[in-house]
Amino acid sequence: MATDSASATDRGALARIRGRLEGPNTIGNSRGFWLGFAVAVLALAAFPVVGSGESFSLFLVLALLGLSLSLVWGYSGVLSFGQVVFFGVGGYTFGVVSINFPDATGITAAAIAGVVGGGVAAALLGYFMFYGGVRDVYVTIITLVTTMAMHTFMAQTAGSEWTIGEAPLGGFNGMPGIPLLELGIEGVASFQFVYNEMSLLGLFAFDPFYYLALALLLVTYLGLRVLVNSDFGRVMVAVREDQDRTQMFGYDVKRIKLLTFTLGGALAALSGVLYAARNVYISPPVFALWFATLPVIWVSVGGRKSLLGAVIATIAIEYFRLSVQGEMALVVLGAMLLVFILALPGGIVPWVAGKLSGSAVPVSELDDADAPGEVSES
Amino acid sequence: MVNGLNLAFQFLDSFAFVVLAAAGLAVIFGIMGVINLAHGEFILFGAYATTMSVTNLGLPLPAAMVVASLLTAGFGVVVERTIISGFVPNWIGQRTVGRDLIEPLYDRLADSMVATFGLSLVMVQSARILFGNSIDTVGTPFGNVAYGAFSYSTYRLVLAGISVLVLVAAYYLFTRTTFGTRVRATMQDEQTAKALGIDTERTYMLTFGIGSGLAGLTGALFAPVLSMQPTLGDQFLIEAFVAVVVGGPSVVLGTALSGGVLGAVSATVTNLTDSTTFGRIALLVAAILALRFLPGGITGFIERFQARRREEE
Amino acid sequence: MSSETERSEVSKQASGETASSDAERSEASGSASDPASDPNVRETPAGKATGDRTDTLLQTDNLVKRFGGFTATDSVDFSVDEGELRCLIGPNGAGKSTLLKLIVGTLEPTAGHVYYDGQEITDMEPNERVQSGISMKFQVPSVYGDLSVRENARLPVQQLADGAERRRRVDEAIENAGLAGYEEVQASTLSHGQQQQLEIGMAASLDPDLLLLDEPVAGLSVDERTEIAERIRRLNREEGIAFIVIEHDTDFVGEIADSVTVLHRGDVFREGSIEEIESDPEVRRIYLGGEQ
Repeated sequence: MATDSASATDRGALARIRGRLEGPNTIGNSRGFWLGFAVAVLALAAFPVVGSGESFSLFLVLALLGLSLSLVWGYSGVLSFGQVVFFGVGGYTFGVVSINFPDATGITAAAIAGVVGGGVAAALLGYFMFYGGVRDVYVTIITLVTTMAMHTFMAQTAGSEWTIGEAPLGGFNGMPGIPLLELGIEGVASFQFVYNEMSLLGLFAFDPFYYLALALLLVTYLGLRVLVNSDFGRVMVAVREDQDRTQMFGYDVKRIKLLTFTLGGALAALSGVLYAARNVYISPPVFALWFATLPVIWVSVGGRKSLLGAVIATIAIEYFRLSVQGEMALVVLGAMLLVFILALPGGIVPWVAGKLSGSAVPVSELDDADAPGEVSES
Repeated sequence: MVNGLNLAFQFLDSFAFVVLAAAGLAVIFGIMGVINLAHGEFILFGAYATTMSVTNLGLPLPAAMVVASLLTAGFGVVVERTIISGFVPNWIGQRTVGRDLIEPLYDRLADSMVATFGLSLVMVQSARILFGNSIDTVGTPFGNVAYGAFSYSTYRLVLAGISVLVLVAAYYLFTRTTFGTRVRATMQDEQTAKALGIDTERTYMLTFGIGSGLAGLTGALFAPVLSMQPTLGDQFLIEAFVAVVVGGPSVVLGTALSGGVLGAVSATVTNLTDSTTFGRIALLVAAILALRFLPGGITGFIERFQARRREEE
Repeated sequence: MSSETERSEVSKQASGETASSDAERSEASGSASDPASDPNVRETPAGKATGDRTDTLLQTDNLVKRFGGFTATDSVDFSVDEGELRCLIGPNGAGKSTLLKLIVGTLEPTAGHVYYDGQEITDMEPNERVQSGISMKFQVPSVYGDLSVRENARLPVQQLADGAERRRRVDEAIENAGLAGYEEVQASTLSHGQQQQLEIGMAASLDPDLLLLDEPVAGLSVDERTEIAERIRRLNREEGIAFIVIEHDTDFVGEIADSVTVLHRGDVFREGSIEEIESDPEVRRIYLGGEQ
């Protein structure tokens, strides 16, 4: 490890904080890293001056979805194609509740309900799978099929009978007319984040939603760093590496997977809530197969065992995908995927980090997403 | 009586669809442990090849189907050599930088999903760029069977028959031929198979080719009844997946049984609710329940059941 | 978890059995069996009490495991006393690993019961059994290859202690495994012997009462075997840990065992001291198939 990494015996609050944020489970455990991190955050904060905060905020929102998969797959070994289910549940729940209670208090409650709804959905599916003894590829398939079932179901909610209170689910056309995101308590203190162009010192205009998304992404990233470097994080990693062996050390593996999966669901739902708030609209394509596969792509390319990799890859890939016009873009994206997963199965960010820290790890020896492990009997 | 006939036809329809959609994927997943998310695009390949052979080359439909299947099989071999086994890149790598460039994708489920998803993106978009958003379809042959106030496409009945033929042919291939034995040996234990002199590399290549060819055949067979768009593969993919995993370890029997069970569920619900959408949802839910309560799929369950029966004797 | 009622149930059953067999067994506990007792001792106890009342730590009762048509474990009554160092031997396919897996819970029995420290654990999940004091090292070395030695050693310990006490335990475990200085080394790069040592250390660091070792010295050099034998003896003497060790090396068995159980075709064939077992012609026959 870098010699200037914080150790638990260092005095000073800063060192103690760094101690919680650093560890073998995350990339970047040196002063240099945090310096670069600070620069990147400042750059992101300054971005709306030169670029479109309104457009870019989408990538920040999706980065939360990528982080949710990194948590569940990269850190617990559960390859889930179902993160978009919780994303969609979050978005739709937010929409339904906020349409029915369109004041600040109601919308705030809707946001919370969305996150909780996603978490509950994940807990239910997780319980069904893990406590039912479903493992490995079958978990992945069930999450994929669940996504398909949700897609098919939501797409046919077109009739007027599919209305919850004032909110029609809208079938394939989706649910428009979601109230503008205003958080707080009605009449006491609230702030509108969406479509609320503000200006700083009369000099430049900015979109507060961008900063909301950025703040949430930052908090989530740092919070997850603390989590994966904690005792619980170490057990999560042990479960990913060899769940049978970990059980033999007295750990309740089912419970750990369920907890992680639930947290991942809540996180994906948060992303969905922000997505629906940003677009003031939500529709069934969030459950589509290609969208379900996107997080897997972001995380695979970025480095699934790396939170930073998930964030960077999501932003980069989505930026590329949505800004480059033309049909060739998808061809290039597809080819990129192919090349990256074959050449760098461990992901880009860990590879780069390895180079920067001077370790000469040959590419073929990097963490392989599914390197064959020990076969454990029964 | 009429509704009974409706139900029967719906079942045959579902059965044929599931079996034909799954056949190629079952072979590849069951034998190589590779999840081919581009499976739908191989079907696309076969469908487009068939359609264009008829409209552009003027081939009769059956000939076009054969040609298309063979072309898809060939394309599958190319894909296997470059992406799945990495043979070609590694051959290049050995001669330039002196080492292998990539690892084979066998038994790497997540990685094979990402890689083949990339492949599918490339294929769909290439089809769109090369041929536009849709191409002309070929007509459905054979006409209709009439009963009561309904009529049913004879061709779809033919498809049901062909799906059974495909199962029988696959069964024959895997159990009665030397090739089939080699494949099953490799599937069971690659190391031992190699030690016994089986060229496992070639076996994988041929297996992927056959799986691709079957997918191409599915595309060819369905070409007359589908609209020819670059995204036509999507509708097959999920059903194929689900059928393969629900089917379990036995490639032929598993596909047949899951085709039967899932087809029955889908047809019954479609019939009762008058909505193919609900039929599809029911199929997916049935699959989830099957995966939860029958770990190892249907044939896995059968194997365990037989084992338990034996121990009680 | 265990309840007073369960324990008294079991002890009621046991006391219903012949008092004399109880006495015989407590005589035989923890030491070489009395040569005067019948070498074919295979009495069938019904739920023999384990736990505070007796010295018996582990007891299986008519334990059966079938795989399809094959019976791997055939109505086995097997017991180990507190602090006893038992070795489990037998020809290949005798069911030794299966028995250990049934005890630790990674296999579910087809029939029968397992009692441990005053509770019936037959329906307990493996992680619960580990929490109760059973620990196991499997045949195939399975340290966490991608993690460092320190991270490996920390994993079992982190649930037992925090802060300075945790660090102490981790350092102790690493040192006892002879891996001082290797803390940051990636576990997959360790030699086979080192990995075995690390794993034994990890299993022992849980402070178990019963440690199951499945072929701990397979593939190790003579020196390494001596080291491990010494370690096992030390853990047994100083920490009072009971052991069930599966091994084929009779020298190794001789170095460590208080008593030996011979398994054959899924059932207990002989029990006794290593000398008795070695000189028993029947035992030689089942190993060699009638030769000599």
